[in-house]
Amino acid sequence: MAEVVTDFDAIVVGSGITGGWAAKELTEKGLRVLMLERGKPLEHGKDYVTEHMPPWEIPFGGRPPRELYAAEYPIQSSSYAFDETTRHFWINDKDNPYVCEPDKPFHWLRADVVGGKSLLWGRQVYRWSDLDFSANKSDGHGSDWPIRYADLKDWYAYVERFIGVSGQAENLPHLPDGEFQPPMAMTTLEKAAKQRIEAQYKNRKMTIGRVANLTEPLDNRGSCHYCGVCQRGCSVGAYFSSHSSTLPAARKTGRLTLRANSVVEGLDYDAPSRRISGVRAIDTQTGERRRYTARLVFLCASTVGSVQILLNSRSEHFPQGLANRSGTLGRYVMDHTSGLAAVGVSMEFPEKYWYGARPNGIYIPRFRNLGKRDADVDFVRGYGFQGMSMPLEWKMMGGQIPGFGAGFKQALRKPGGWIFALVGFGECLPYRDNRVLLDAKKVDRFGIPQVRFEVEFRDNEQRMRADINREAQAMLKAAGMTQVIPVGVEGPPGSAIHEMGGARMGRDAADSVLNAHNQAHDIPNLFVTDGACMTSSSCVNPSLTFMALTARAADYAVAQLRSGAI
Amino acid sequence: MNRRELLKVASVLLGGTLSASLARGVLGESIAPAGELIAEAPLKKISVLCEMIIPKTDTPGAIDAGVPSFVAMMVSRWYTDAERRIFFAGLDDLDTYCVGHYAAAFLQCDAAQRIDALTSAENAAKNYRGSSFAFDGKSVDPNTPFFTKLKELAVLGYCMSETGSKQFLAYNPMPMRFDGDYEFAKVGTEWAW
Repeated sequence: MAEVVTDFDAIVVGSGITGGWAAKELTEKGLRVLMLERGKPLEHGKDYVTEHMPPWEIPFGGRPPRELYAAEYPIQSSSYAFDETTRHFWINDKDNPYVCEPDKPFHWLRADVVGGKSLLWGRQVYRWSDLDFSANKSDGHGSDWPIRYADLKDWYAYVERFIGVSGQAENLPHLPDGEFQPPMAMTTLEKAAKQRIEAQYKNRKMTIGRVANLTEPLDNRGSCHYCGVCQRGCSVGAYFSSHSSTLPAARKTGRLTLRANSVVEGLDYDAPSRRISGVRAIDTQTGERRRYTARLVFLCASTVGSVQILLNSRSEHFPQGLANRSGTLGRYVMDHTSGLAAVGVSMEFPEKYWYGARPNGIYIPRFRNLGKRDADVDFVRGYGFQGMSMPLEWKMMGGQIPGFGAGFKQALRKPGGWIFALVGFGECLPYRDNRVLLDAKKVDRFGIPQVRFEVEFRDNEQRMRADINREAQAMLKAAGMTQVIPVGVEGPPGSAIHEMGGARMGRDAADSVLNAHNQAHDIPNLFVTDGACMTSSSCVNPSLTFMALTARAADYAVAQLRSGAI
Repeated sequence: MNRRELLKVASVLLGGTLSASLARGVLGESIAPAGELIAEAPLKKISVLCEMIIPKTDTPGAIDAGVPSFVAMMVSRWYTDAERRIFFAGLDDLDTYCVGHYAAAFLQCDAAQRIDALTSAENAAKNYRGSSFAFDGKSVDPNTPFFTKLKELAVLGYCMSETGSKQFLAYNPMPMRFDGDYEFAKVGTEWAW
């Protein structure tokens, strides 16, 4: 008989970017919260075992142990944030398989520890504007968002003030400024590139990245030390993660109970009350099953994780999956297109170098289709670029400097110019047939049906990619690079790690899973606030929007609880 | 007549260079199986080669920095069988070259002769465009020639070593600030990362 636990006002599934926020908000508003996390326990500071690992202690000189990665981490190891100093945070692919077709690959990137990808993320944070919220309505792809920027504006500010974001105000209507700590500096080359690109392209801008790294201390968190290894964990708390920020806030209330090693198998629905009556979890270490009850449930298990739980919670009342009267659960899944578009080489500033490892790059906001569709463009929506310059040092150049001996040795320690890389992130349209389902046969090691992906980039994304690659080269030329190398990497869906959709918000219960408050249309005590809720994808990094939606939904949910509506 | 002189005479009679496999057989090299320690003779050769690539100057050299054992470790534990074959074939080719030109194995040659032999290995690699490691730091081209492999491993081992990081590069793990207009002359060498 499964143990039943009934002590909590709210259950939050997931401890990552949104789970941490839900727990913080709900506990601060007086609720006793149980947080269930499938990953392993992790203690801020103490468990950052590689945080200060010097170069000479990194196995194989930092080169990837290829056989191990191919056997156990073939997908996870494709991430820029995966190496021997971070591998212990990531999920093991071999132990946690999923299904996709060979011609429709999907890279499902996941952590497997408390804090989730909030430990590993790139920390870029940008607000949406109404250009994004209105996009579906304007061009007819997907269905209309039930909210607009005005609904989220104050929540963006609320989140930014808490997490700490450094950035530069640019007064762009389609990329609203946030509440910023002082911006990080550009390099000499980036400043020159900015000036030249903006001179040649009157409607384009290059700004410093808006990043959730502190440039000033905030609460108990110290400002960034510029060691450049954020993903290993930061005991100073200089970047936003659940560990540095939201979990401590929740714990401070005394009302948080966190159970790691707890994978949620499904939610129980009680028809007479129209409520989620229980959350069923499996202990990943012992296999024990437990059932938890609470008045409120927040699903923050990550885009695909939350959809998987809902699909696996089908019942006689919801035969297509919990909260799926509309048939849209698992559908309209998106990821940004992404990839290194082009690299420029510059010999212009040979005497210039840098001091400190900046955990941030530059950003070129969207310049395509800002009003009506641009005349000379064959796609809808738009894209932005992340980029950065770096000196060409031994790591990249060492083997190619000619010769050997004393002269070669001396050349090793002087940079041979700079490179400037531009990585494009393109909006992906919401397609009904881009979907996530449960495999009919395969189960995971807990007996839960494996996720099956049927997601591909289609015409609009491919045409946009061609423009991304073309414009990256053009801008690098305009920036004065000595040499421009077209690269045009096109990662498969999932590789941007911005997967969204599957339980979209909408005005119409017949056509969406969630209402304007991230609340399931028919189930007042169920909220989904991670990336699954997204109705379109914009081209900007989504985590800030996930956090703002979560804080807003928690505020609404508690008000509903207090008024007796839930 | 010792073995070296015999080979010198033989090479004149055979019209130039001995075949690589013959030289290998005579000189007793072998390919170390994966994971095992590299035998003494190749390790000595690796040491000499690493020090040739990154010699002691006013800063420590490859041997000071422990580079030979790093290279040996990478070759025996990190390389695939195919990469290992290329590497050991390259070590053997050095002997072939030296035997052919100087009637002595590589280790028995003098410094100038060794430089000549290594230069020939470098020239053999010149037509191969590219390095073993891609821009992403993850993808590996297993087909790079011997000289490229040797040099990359030596550079990696040296620059990632404690000696190399602290005494050749500048080791500054906690910079505390970021300056993007920094004059290189203020530090005079690359940062160790």
